[in-house]
Amino acid sequence: MQTSLPAVRLAGLAVTTGPLVRDFLADGLAAGQEPGALERTARTVGLRRRLVAAPGQTALDLCADAATRLLAACPEAAAQVDAVIFVTQTPDHAQPNNASLLHGRLGFARTVAAYDVALGCSGWVYGLQQAALLCAHGGARSVLLCAGDTLSRSTNPRDRATDPLFGDAGSATLVVRDPAAGPWHFVLGADGARARVIEVPAGGARSPRGREPWVERADADGNVRHPGDLHMDGAEVFNFTLREVPAAVADVMALAGWTEPVVDALVLHQANRFVLSSLGRKCGFPAAKTPMDLVERFGNQSSASIPCALVEALGPELGRRPLRLVACGFGVGLSWGAVALTAGPLTLLPTAPLLPSP
Amino acid sequence: MSSSEERRWAALRAEVDALAAAPAGLDTALAGLPQWDSLAVLLVITHAEQAYGRTLTGAQVRACRTARDLVALLS
Repeated sequence: MQTSLPAVRLAGLAVTTGPLVRDFLADGLAAGQEPGALERTARTVGLRRRLVAAPGQTALDLCADAATRLLAACPEAAAQVDAVIFVTQTPDHAQPNNASLLHGRLGFARTVAAYDVALGCSGWVYGLQQAALLCAHGGARSVLLCAGDTLSRSTNPRDRATDPLFGDAGSATLVVRDPAAGPWHFVLGADGARARVIEVPAGGARSPRGREPWVERADADGNVRHPGDLHMDGAEVFNFTLREVPAAVADVMALAGWTEPVVDALVLHQANRFVLSSLGRKCGFPAAKTPMDLVERFGNQSSASIPCALVEALGPELGRRPLRLVACGFGVGLSWGAVALTAGPLTLLPTAPLLPSP
Repeated sequence: MSSSEERRWAALRAEVDALAAAPAGLDTALAGLPQWDSLAVLLVITHAEQAYGRTLTGAQVRACRTARDLVALLS
């Protein structure tokens, strides 16, 4: 679907990461892997360092910290929040939903709506569309969008293809109604026929935990996982991104009436350097306009990766002047979302780790 | 080996490190190469897309037994 939503403005962004550092090479060596093969993977895929949550920390905790800091820095928008949206694949519980738990933790009034969006790496753009829709046509003055995951806990440590990829983070985004701003343009899509290319086969209602023992099995490359672990078919995910993302980016730019020279940055979901460099080329953007080193500092942060890239790669400029941005998230579903928006100057808080409780 | 096959094989070896280290002949068995893994499959898919505009699936690449099979996929 394509949609253009008027009178919306990005007021602020904050990201909170997990506090623990995982080093790809050190972890691989400790697991007995061959140094040459590790260096080859690190170099080609761009796996170096990632920040993961401490024991007991969840996506809700990370997002709550980001939201608390952001709301304190934006008191005017904070006082007008009419809805809380929480995007996650790793909620605290099957029930209740994370948005309601956050609503309670932050002490919002009962007139403030709260709901979850169950998406991963495409989720920030989907959530942004929901927030913009509520502001443009839904009567909301301001919407708090939180997006984050702790996917480092969803993988099997012996799955070398998937386990080293993910960092944990939570983001908070404030979207406000502003008649002088916008429009934002969105292209959203899904390919449900290929949904199982990224999956956690067991643990939901179809195959509940405890119904049968979860037996670990090794694939042809020796990667081990059980049905409760996250599994990605890397080749098919890669083909999906090359097929859908450039088309979505082209479509959203056409919707906005923009061409590459007038766009300040193309901010893609920070999956890994290998995917990003391939996508940047295919989207027709120079490397200088396409941030792609975030994943080497933070890991793949799922739905928090685009806000983290905005803060870390564009922060100084976004805090100072308006930028024309195109962003695209893509992942579980399979789903993708692209947005073209002018943003800035806005409140950007330094990315910070959530220190473990003593 | 035809000149077209030679060119495709040389280009593939230049892009895919697992193949660069392999013997030069097209009868090279892929399964015996130490770095013939999921990352090598991704690199072949990327090369096919960038050099020839062809979309290969992981299953197609994994089904190849020899370098000749890979080159045939690109033809």
